[in-house]
Amino acid sequence: MAKKFMSMRNLHFLLYEVFDTASLAKYPFFSDHGKETFDMVLETGMKMGRDILYPALAEMDRNQPVFEKGTVRVHPVVETVVKECGGGGWIGAHASYELGGQQIPNTIMTAFRGIFAAANYSASVYPFLTSGAAHLIASFGSKELIDTYIPRMFSGQWQGTMALTEPQAGSSLTDLTTTATPTDKGYYLMKGQKIFISCADYDCVENVVNLMLARIEGAPAGIRGISLFVVPKMRPDEKGKLVANDLNCVSIYHKLGYRGAPITQLALGENGDCRGWLVGQPHKGIRHMFQMMNEARIEVGMGAAAIASAAYYASLEYTMERPQGRKITSKNPEEPQIPIIEHADVKRMLLFQRAVVEGSLSLIFQCAIYADLVNVTDGEEKETNELLLEILTPIAKSYPSEMGILSVSQGLQCLGGYGYCDEFPLEQYYRDVRIHPIHEGTTGMQGMDLLGRKVVMKNGKAFMLFLGEAEKTIAGAGSIDELKSCAEALTTALERLKEVTGALTGLAVKGDIEVFLADATLYLEMFGITAIAWQWLIQGITAHHALAKLPAAQDALFYKGKLATCRYFFEYELPKTQGLATRLMRSGDGLTVKMEKEWFGD
Amino acid sequence: MNIVACVKQVPDTEALIKVKPDGSGIDEGGIKWVMNPYDEYGVEEALRLKEAKGGEVTIVSVGPARAMETIRTALAMGAEKGVHVSDPLLDNTDAYTTAAALAAVIKGLNPDIIFCGQRAIDDDSGQVGSILAAILGIPQVTIVTKLEMADGKIKAIKPIEGAQLVIESTLPCVITTQKGLNEPRYASLPGIMKAKKKPVDVKNAAALGIATEPKAKVAKMTPPPDRAPGKIIAGDDPAAKAAELVRLLREEAKVI
Repeated sequence: MAKKFMSMRNLHFLLYEVFDTASLAKYPFFSDHGKETFDMVLETGMKMGRDILYPALAEMDRNQPVFEKGTVRVHPVVETVVKECGGGGWIGAHASYELGGQQIPNTIMTAFRGIFAAANYSASVYPFLTSGAAHLIASFGSKELIDTYIPRMFSGQWQGTMALTEPQAGSSLTDLTTTATPTDKGYYLMKGQKIFISCADYDCVENVVNLMLARIEGAPAGIRGISLFVVPKMRPDEKGKLVANDLNCVSIYHKLGYRGAPITQLALGENGDCRGWLVGQPHKGIRHMFQMMNEARIEVGMGAAAIASAAYYASLEYTMERPQGRKITSKNPEEPQIPIIEHADVKRMLLFQRAVVEGSLSLIFQCAIYADLVNVTDGEEKETNELLLEILTPIAKSYPSEMGILSVSQGLQCLGGYGYCDEFPLEQYYRDVRIHPIHEGTTGMQGMDLLGRKVVMKNGKAFMLFLGEAEKTIAGAGSIDELKSCAEALTTALERLKEVTGALTGLAVKGDIEVFLADATLYLEMFGITAIAWQWLIQGITAHHALAKLPAAQDALFYKGKLATCRYFFEYELPKTQGLATRLMRSGDGLTVKMEKEWFGD
Repeated sequence: MNIVACVKQVPDTEALIKVKPDGSGIDEGGIKWVMNPYDEYGVEEALRLKEAKGGEVTIVSVGPARAMETIRTALAMGAEKGVHVSDPLLDNTDAYTTAAALAAVIKGLNPDIIFCGQRAIDDDSGQVGSILAAILGIPQVTIVTKLEMADGKIKAIKPIEGAQLVIESTLPCVITTQKGLNEPRYASLPGIMKAKKKPVDVKNAAALGIATEPKAKVAKMTPPPDRAPGKIIAGDDPAAKAAELVRLLREEAKVI
């Protein structure tokens, strides 16, 4: 297997050289930290990833979870991962000292989780699903809920999940029917079914804590009648002893990839004794859940970028070693063959992967920094960070997810026939990465979120802030000769994006909402490519300045590679926005809206 | 108990090592540095001993400024304090001088037991633990894969060809640690946070009163020679080709 799945050199470049995360220490919340701590955190993550998670990657794929005797048997490495993450303090790392955390910046933990996801995506979700669920309890739960659940979740004793989907309610949460009947004892009686719930039952954990959406009996229909509950698999009784909570796993699904983590179907209250505890206010469940959902979306982007990273390094290693063919200009069959990395088209496939992976990682860290700043700033500064995070979240979720598939596909392509066989990990990465455009809100939902909500909210304030940030970067590149053409291309792309945005929102103003949103996914794609170009320009500027300081030989190669990949993105990827713009400027024709479903008949 | 674990910072086993053009050593540019893996077993065993018997663990390292990272890693695993012998005169010094520097520090610590990795993966000399025991005038048990302590003595297991030795020793003594002794723990996040505040004494050679002139010097370092190209035996007759192969193996390669 390839040695590398995530580049520490690139993480250092992004975290310290591009984004200067060490400077977060100037905020009191992070004042105990600095580069020294962050280095040790990342090193430990890499060590755990390399020693524990990575060796189990293929095994977990080939030995899927099994549902037997009412529970789910998972690969034994899961127990080690959860125990090490709980015992090591990694599940609650970002939380405040009062809650038992260490106030590590979200940005650093995003990198830590990314290392895990690149090593073995399935294994990585167990501990970090718990982080998200615990954060939700910490944000909106009562003191009693916090005291009961958080310590055991942070220690890894209890698994956390998010339980939203139902058989009839996937993307359309409005239609969920799980009910919560109030009692006079402080809890609700839950009844219903949930499906596709990751890690909601398995054999090597004491308890599972589901953060669940349900409708309080008699609540208004629609999204405003949904509330958030803690519904554990086992509930602590008066003496603290765990008793069954009438919440059972009834089956698991078998998936294309990401096979090491079970997705379960849950039945609640079959015997009328499933208790749930309200988190936050009644009927505000969706709003509360979206805190976790927004974090989870960026995490999904990281998951995709991380798998694409592992695929990139596996294909890079292969192309360095595999001899095949000769230089196109060589006529002599007696000459030794050359490694395939010397062929221009193979280099193109590698550059594409690097452009997608490192561009995605950059945007994800950009978002993670905004999330950290939201937590430690006030007033207008906080609002600015919030709005930038909001508008970029659907992109940080979707660009890596959609492009990650293509990136892994190119990695697989580098190996030819071997890439299609299971002796190499590429075919597994290709299957594993496919989940990301689906879970935590499909790409279609992200498109509508971006165009229908984020771009137009507060009279386009978030959109204007994004343009402002990109323009600042362009100004920073203005005096650098080798980046001048990139800066100009980004200026043009931003103009194009403004024009398209204006044309589309014009449709909304006319009241033609269905037509306005019909091509939202294409808009998301166009916005995504533009945002990644912005991130590549930031990286290009950083690499340019670092090269000017005449770094050590190895570093110089790294920076030259960065600059070449930056130029690649601007020459090969950014021009795709022209084609998208051509279509989007004509979206008013409502082509897909007007297509009659009967016309699909043949 | 007063326990000492000696650690050395070495290039990561996965680092790409390049020899400097003048052969004076390796090119350190772009190398990732880690704790010598054999020393990790020593640190882990020291921590387990402390957890079982009480006491404290002191980490001692001889190395340039960057070796502080490795000491902090051991502190993050759970050791109490560190001593860093940092002196440009000791950079890339020999095993004797390293052991002399360690001995000068450790004498003052008055330990019950001292752990060293059985060798460092960079120079593979495997001498420091033994020289250290000799300078301190205490027993040593090398290449240990199991350790028990009772009644003020240790019982150690050391694998040898086809068998294993069970060795008893009085304390204090030096134990050099081998793969199989334990599974070193990962640094925990609370451990990392505490490590920053744990005391590390930094000392130079003059403060320790040791001679810095090495007794052994690396005269020249050369990369391993490139593998010679293979030879393809041409011809259509398999018997003749086989005979030629045997001849070449006997006369040229001299392996049969």
